Amino acid sequence: MDPLSWTGQIAFLTPLLTLVFGLLGLSVLSWIVLNAVLPENRAINSAGGSLSLSSGPRDIASLAVKLCFLAATLLIFSYLVLGLILGTQAGIIGAMARQFLPVWIALVLLFTLSIAFKRRLGLYGKLFDSPIGMIGFALVMFWVFTGVFGAFDMIVTHDDPLAQISGLKNKVPGTPLRSPGEGDFQWYLLGGDNLARDVFSRTVKGAWEVVKIAPLATLFAFMVGITLGLPAGYFGGRLDTLLSFLANLILAFPVILLFYLLVTPEIVQTGLPQYMAIVLFSFPLIFFAVLINSRFRTQPSKNYLWLAIVLLPLLMLYLLVVNDPGSKVDFLTKTIDIIDIPGGILVVFVSVVFVNSPTVFRIVRGLAMDIKTRDYVAAAQTRGERPWYIMLWEVLPNARGPLIVDFCLRIGYTTILLGTLGFFGLGLPPESPDWGSTINEGRKLLMIYLHPALPPAIALLSMVLGLNLLADGLREESLKD
Amino acid sequence: MNKLAEHNGPTLEIEKLSFSFFTRLREIPAVMDFSVAVQPGEAVGLVGESGCGKSTVALGVMQDLGKNGRIVGGSIKFKGRDLAEMSAEELRDVRGNEIAMIYQEPMASLNPAMKIGRQLMEVPMIHEGVSEQEARSRALEVVTDVRLPDPERMLNSYPHQLSGGQQQRIVIAMALMSKPALLILDEPTTALDVTVEAAVVELVRDLGKKYGTSMLFISHNLGLILETCDRVCVMYSGEAVERGSIADVFDDMQHPYTQALFRSIPLPSADKNAHPLVAIPGNFPLPHERPPGCNFGPRCDYFEAGRCDSGQIPMADVAGNDRHATRCVKFQEIDWNAPIEIGEQKEKTEPGKVVLKIENLKKYYEVAANALFGGGAKKVVKANETLSFEARESETLAIVGESGCGKSTFAKVLMGLETATEGQILLDGQNIEQTAIEARDTRTISDVQMVFQNPFDTLNPSMTVGRQIIRALEIFDVGTSDQERQQRMLELLDLVNLPRAFAERMPRQLSGGQKQRVGIARAFSGGARIVVADEPVSALDVSVQAAVTDLLMEIQRKEKTTLLFISHDLSIVRYLSDRVMVMYLGHVVELGSTDQVFAPPYHPYTEALHSAVPIADTSIVKEHIVLEGDIPSAMDPPSGCPFQTRCRWKNEVPGGLCDSEVPPVRQREAGHQIKCHLSDEVLQRMSPVIKMAAE
Repeated sequence: MDPLSWTGQIAFLTPLLTLVFGLLGLSVLSWIVLNAVLPENRAINSAGGSLSLSSGPRDIASLAVKLCFLAATLLIFSYLVLGLILGTQAGIIGAMARQFLPVWIALVLLFTLSIAFKRRLGLYGKLFDSPIGMIGFALVMFWVFTGVFGAFDMIVTHDDPLAQISGLKNKVPGTPLRSPGEGDFQWYLLGGDNLARDVFSRTVKGAWEVVKIAPLATLFAFMVGITLGLPAGYFGGRLDTLLSFLANLILAFPVILLFYLLVTPEIVQTGLPQYMAIVLFSFPLIFFAVLINSRFRTQPSKNYLWLAIVLLPLLMLYLLVVNDPGSKVDFLTKTIDIIDIPGGILVVFVSVVFVNSPTVFRIVRGLAMDIKTRDYVAAAQTRGERPWYIMLWEVLPNARGPLIVDFCLRIGYTTILLGTLGFFGLGLPPESPDWGSTINEGRKLLMIYLHPALPPAIALLSMVLGLNLLADGLREESLKD
Repeated sequence: MNKLAEHNGPTLEIEKLSFSFFTRLREIPAVMDFSVAVQPGEAVGLVGESGCGKSTVALGVMQDLGKNGRIVGGSIKFKGRDLAEMSAEELRDVRGNEIAMIYQEPMASLNPAMKIGRQLMEVPMIHEGVSEQEARSRALEVVTDVRLPDPERMLNSYPHQLSGGQQQRIVIAMALMSKPALLILDEPTTALDVTVEAAVVELVRDLGKKYGTSMLFISHNLGLILETCDRVCVMYSGEAVERGSIADVFDDMQHPYTQALFRSIPLPSADKNAHPLVAIPGNFPLPHERPPGCNFGPRCDYFEAGRCDSGQIPMADVAGNDRHATRCVKFQEIDWNAPIEIGEQKEKTEPGKVVLKIENLKKYYEVAANALFGGGAKKVVKANETLSFEARESETLAIVGESGCGKSTFAKVLMGLETATEGQILLDGQNIEQTAIEARDTRTISDVQMVFQNPFDTLNPSMTVGRQIIRALEIFDVGTSDQERQQRMLELLDLVNLPRAFAERMPRQLSGGQKQRVGIARAFSGGARIVVADEPVSALDVSVQAAVTDLLMEIQRKEKTTLLFISHDLSIVRYLSDRVMVMYLGHVVELGSTDQVFAPPYHPYTEALHSAVPIADTSIVKEHIVLEGDIPSAMDPPSGCPFQTRCRWKNEVPGGLCDSEVPPVRQREAGHQIKCHLSDEVLQRMSPVIKMAAE
């Protein structure tokens, strides 16, 4: 087998792309210069409201920027499409495009359906009116689908992210396997790392590590932040002072140091992370209990029914998660304890929730302080509603806009945090394919072999960028009406 | 930088102007075919309901329509020059220099981080490049002109150190700094209290004369337009429907909308039983759902299919009047002087037994001087001072007063959100003043309910209308099953004249008036017997106000409710209340039946209040009373009589009694009481503030 080149048969596109990028840069530059030099332009209104084409150098420049941008997008798109058609004949790019085929299909389906029904989908539908939001959403969903499909081994070229294949140590992208077995993929698409593992497969596997931890941890942080932030903002006074002080205390503590402390074997042995888990994981229970109870307070039969439906499964899940045989918290017999979270992941989870919740707390507290002055809150008070009903059913739903935006941003922060944890080798097992660990390993040989460190870094960057753009899009669209 | 050359024609001439806003869904025409001319020194009023495009016109004149707003036809000429053709540079010179604008919210127009003096001096320094000394002396001069006490100190203070009225005066001063040719006032007094409003309006009028400035005065209040302007332009749904001189439009109106508008505002001649207000049927059309032909057509009494709903209707001049034009195809056929068809006359309901009795109610707040550590001396804010009155079944008691008079505190104590400091509240002979809302039983809570002021804030935006009413029913233990409550909720929607389909709607899909109706339905869901209505209509448009007021009256007749109507608008109070209680700084200064309070002898504060409320009736002559200064802070009330700092009768009381002693409550005939030191002879001497000119 020959080594794969980057572009294979579609190499003819590369000079074109270089040219277009050059032009784009040039047009952007001239547009900036023209805008700075020329006097301010006033939209003089042409009759009928249609803007005429090309008048003055400013308009030409902005047109050029638009055209170049369009051309660049088209070229990149054609790389992907041609790659999909040609497969490995189009080099590494083609092979990767084909590997990601399930992701492309899922993305296209998602976007067509969403755009077709966007008027009926509320805020989510409005997202498809904002180009920024759409790009962000596409990036995020790309990695989400990659993570999910990757977990089912649909994308990876080499199923086991730990498998080492001799002779591929630190080999450049596109290196063929020396003696491929029957049905094996023939190349290491993005090369091998210093333990001769496939970088491409590990990056895809790493996406699952992020996708399974980051949103869930953020959700838990929100549960904690909301459950504490609402009463702090609503009641104010001493309670607020106390809770805010605690939040500040946690915020003031260096995050990395905290992580180092939490994963120290001595600390783990005292059971501290598990006790923290007991406290932090109980918040969703409290949240849902109060949510349901306040809503159905006046109708006891309904109340108990709903409480039972929601709380019993949650409580079971809680006990199963918290219980860990052989540790300090071990009260269930082995036969019942069917869910077992690896200690490392639990520590990571707990620490991420712990450091994220104070910030959520502050946001919720601020929003609650603002919303509690509204008349509908006063109306609820004058009809004798209890405080928790007001907080959870009158205040919280109306604070959802900023909270959704922050949720997206915070998944991004959590992703970075997970990367950091992996980079320092905290919590997760050392051979784990998560991006942080992979970057750290690649870093050690960075001067000699660049390729093992770059793909996970780019993956991390694009996912966080996507989340930020998504949050921007959501914010922008939620402000419009 | 110089001003534009002098020009002989009108200062501002808007001709056949049309604006549109372009959203991602469609083009929304905001203003269509709008023409108006403002002559030098003339004040033109622009009146209309919210959403009719009057503020858009102002922004269009300033050429500040934002990104998606665009002029799609017509022209705006300022001193003969088309503003749309000016370059950005030229526009910058015109804005703030030749055309100045005053907005509704004074605090939002001033930079909170800059001293007043600096902000004022900026104007001539930027536009005329004068030296700092000269700018300062000019600033001092205008601040004196807007009649602010102690101008030097004013210049050295920050905006937050001034009261709302003072801030608005500063904004006016800033607008006048460059001696503009045109002043645009966009609802300049809506955020102010009535007595303060009266003073500011007078100031604007006087200054307009002194500086010879043309004015474009935007307001929803016809009375205010009458007091300030020479000419008026009535707008409806993006179009000017009638324009002409004040006398022509007010007394010789030629458009059905103008006529309907006047019939729906409570003039002194209206009466809730004999001459009820005539509400305009239907709703204001949304900008993208305007009917073909005449926009007012679907709501018009004179509508004629085939004529009114086809084609563009142009402005037509009314013969015989001075520059009087109307946008109605039938104005020559309609008999404008035909008497109003008097709707069903209502029986006056007799007040029943006493339901609510307040005795010597006091509510004091303790405010710690040092909020952080709770130490230091404590200040006492006396929000309510010896409140005593009774309210009977199916009676409307109006509580009148300006901000800080303690009416909201009283409502809170009554509702149980606060507990009283002293005195008692008896509901059916039971004390409730010390029972907080958590401790009250369901019956008491559902008996005393409240309707809130701001319709946009009164409903939870993320819950359907039906769900919110059902929640109230659940809380009040009405009905035993979900079906029963669902049924009751639909009946409540019927009660407030809303279609049943609204149950599934979200509040944002409702107009202000409809939201207020839902608020009323919610308040009555537990069969409330006492309803506190906190300015329930003041945030609504005039045409909707009448309908909501009527609805309240209707329900009251049916349910024999006691209505505590909190308001600062004396016109509406006169229209609907049986008894009136006037409050000032926590004190009840006057209490009596509506006739007693609206006729002399008055308490001096009541008298000023009567004079301050603008009335949109040219045949009314008001005695002109302008109160000096602002309402004192409740944190630091004056000694003696609370009103003594602004009272014009103070020197009639011998021995400086007003400064030293709180006046006693003086009982006059049949339940009329006044809290004043003035002797009986002086009180007898008072003449009515409002008179019909014919008398």
